[in-house]
Order: sequence, then C-alpha cells, then structure tokens
Amino acid sequence: MRIPILKLHEYLLITIQVELDDQTALQFQEDLLSKIHDTGAKGVVIDLTSVDMIDSFIAKVLGDVVRMSKLMGAQVVLTGIQPAVAITLIDLGISMREVPTALDLEQGLDKLRLELEG
Amino acid sequence: MDSLIVNVLTKNQDVLLKKWLIELEKTDITGHVKFAATPNMLRDTNEEFFRLLLKHISYNDISQDGSIERFFDQLLQTGLPVNYMTQGLQGMRRVILDVLLDDGSIDKEKAIELYNDIDRWLDPILNRVVENSAQIWEKTISIQKSALLELTAPLIPVFQQVSVMPLIGTIDTERAKLIMENLLDGVIKYRSEVVLIDITGVPVVDTMVAHHIIQAADAVRLLGSTCILVGIRPEIAQTIVSLGIDLTAFPTKSTLQKGMERALEITSQEIVRKED
Repeated sequence: MRIPILKLHEYLLITIQVELDDQTALQFQEDLLSKIHDTGAKGVVIDLTSVDMIDSFIAKVLGDVVRMSKLMGAQVVLTGIQPAVAITLIDLGISMREVPTALDLEQGLDKLRLELEG
Repeated sequence: MDSLIVNVLTKNQDVLLKKWLIELEKTDITGHVKFAATPNMLRDTNEEFFRLLLKHISYNDISQDGSIERFFDQLLQTGLPVNYMTQGLQGMRRVILDVLLDDGSIDKEKAIELYNDIDRWLDPILNRVVENSAQIWEKTISIQKSALLELTAPLIPVFQQVSVMPLIGTIDTERAKLIMENLLDGVIKYRSEVVLIDITGVPVVDTMVAHHIIQAADAVRLLGSTCILVGIRPEIAQTIVSLGIDLTAFPTKSTLQKGMERALEITSQEIVRKED
C-alpha cells in the first residue's frame, strides 16, 4: 500500500486516507524523502483529517519524517488531526512539540508560506 | 392472611391505631429540620397510612394497585425521614402481634406461626420503602451531577478564529477529561486559531491541575491551534513557580484582556475605534 504524494508548485501535498500500519508508514517515509530529493520541494503538508488512530510508532515515524525533511530543507506541517487522535496521543504521552500543526490544509499552506517567507 | 386474623384486626382497629400512635411518638424526628410539618399533618399522615395498611390486610396484597407506593412516594417528596417510616412499620408489627394475642381468640401455640405470617406480610412493604427512597436519592444525585457537568466547560467563540474557555471551580480528573473534549471539539467546530483558557475562577492550581491544563494545551496544539493561558493571579503564579511546574511551553498572560490582544495579534486582526 503506497500513499500518493502530490506536487503543487514548490510544495508537496499528502492526504493520508488509509489506516496507517507500520509498513505503510515506513514506506511513506522513504517515498516522501526521495520525492523531496527529486523535486526540491520547500514545504510539505501532511493532512491527517481521515486518520482515526495514531499509535506511538506512527507518531514516532511522523516526528522522524518532520525532522528528516527539515534536514533536507523542507518544512513540514501536519494538518487536520482529529480531537480523538489528539487525546490518544496526549494519553500516550506524545506531545510532538517540535512538529508544526494547522487546523486544515488551507491554514497549513498559509503557515508554510509564512515560515518560508519570514 | 388468615381470615381469623383479619377479623380480629378489623374488630380491634381502634385499639390498634391508638397503640400504634403511642409507639410512633417514641420516634424522634426533631433532628430532621428538613421535614417542616405541623403535628396535625403528621397525625393525618399516620392515620392515612393506617387505613391503607388495614385495607391491604383484608386484600392480603401490598403491591397490586400501587396505592402504597404512591403514598410513600408522596411522603418521601415531603421530606419525611425514612427512619420514621421504617420505625412506623416496625412499630406496626409489634402492635399487631400485641393486639392479636390480647384478643384471646388465638391460642398461644399459634403465635410463632402468626409472627412469621406478619413478618412475611410487612417485610415487602419495608423493602419497597427503602428501595424507593434509595432510588429517589440516586436519581437526584445523578441529575445534579449531570447539571454540574453541563455547566463546567463551555467554549465560547468571541471573534473570528478566537475562542475563550472560562474555567470556574476545582478541576478533577473527570472534569479535566470533559474540558479537553469540549475544548478540542470546539476548536474544530469554530475553526479557532487561538483558544484562551481563563483560570481566574480556579481556586487552586496544584501539580495535577497544571498537568491537566498542559495536556489540554498540547492537544490543542496538535490540532493546529494555539492555546493561551490567561487569568493567572499573583498567588497562582507563586504556586506554579514554587511547585516547579514548567509552563514555558505555551504563552501565558495575567488577564483575559491581555490574552485577547495577543490572540488578535496572532490572527492578524485588530480592533479599531470608529471615527466620529
């Protein structure tokens, strides 16, 4: 199972619409990094609106992806995290303080633009 | 119920009532301030209960038409203490036995059997009284509890993308959970970019309360909006620092007003005084 990565000008858009298992997440990490390498994207938005569950491993992978992308010069924003997911993560003790977040895709893109310009 | 007993009881009902009322007077209900009844009212109630009981003696049934239940429900609503009712029923048992034995038409050998009969006859009423009163209490408590919960944590949208959650009263784990759920659902519902949590009305901020607030703020941040903690009184600031609680991860302000200014700044909004 592969997650499609869309290119929009200098940004990459990813909407995760499947249940993330460990294998898919790791595959996604590889795909995204090589896509950043290929396109030279400056910003990445990962939209999690339709994700109902994030466990500690997926959370770790997501945090890693954000840091790795940053190393490669791309700023990542996570968008659309559902309340239930947020509560689960907080209960697991994962606050992901270093990861930028936004309410939806629109605000995510705004945030990226702000950070890249300013 | 034995027809002989019924006859004896109906014949002697005046004596029965008199003895029972004397028995009842021994019960002290002055300690229960809640029941504000005149002695007259109490006597009427007693007599009504007595009539009901007699009626049921002749039908040998206590629950079919529900009149006993209705009677006790009414009594409970007036606030008559339950112990008075149970005393009354127990007193009735003693008095009935007295009257039956005094009458002489029942030989003493039958007495034990008689005692069992009366037990079996009065106990269901007693059980029902206790059960009903317990049910009424439980219902009251659960209604009050849910009313309290509803009041606790509303999220109020103030400006576009700015909401406020005023917290009043102590915060325990159960309430903290509710606060977090309301907060997150509200953030999604109103698309709030900034949420102000006002703790002016929270009397004590200890490590646990702070922990809950930090968790809520973290969860709000995960959703993609910013949490500002406002209403930090001097004594709260002192407690937080002396307890070594780290609140540096998110912004704090002393008053809701200052927090609102910051929120407008974050959302690139401004309040402008109208000319003329």
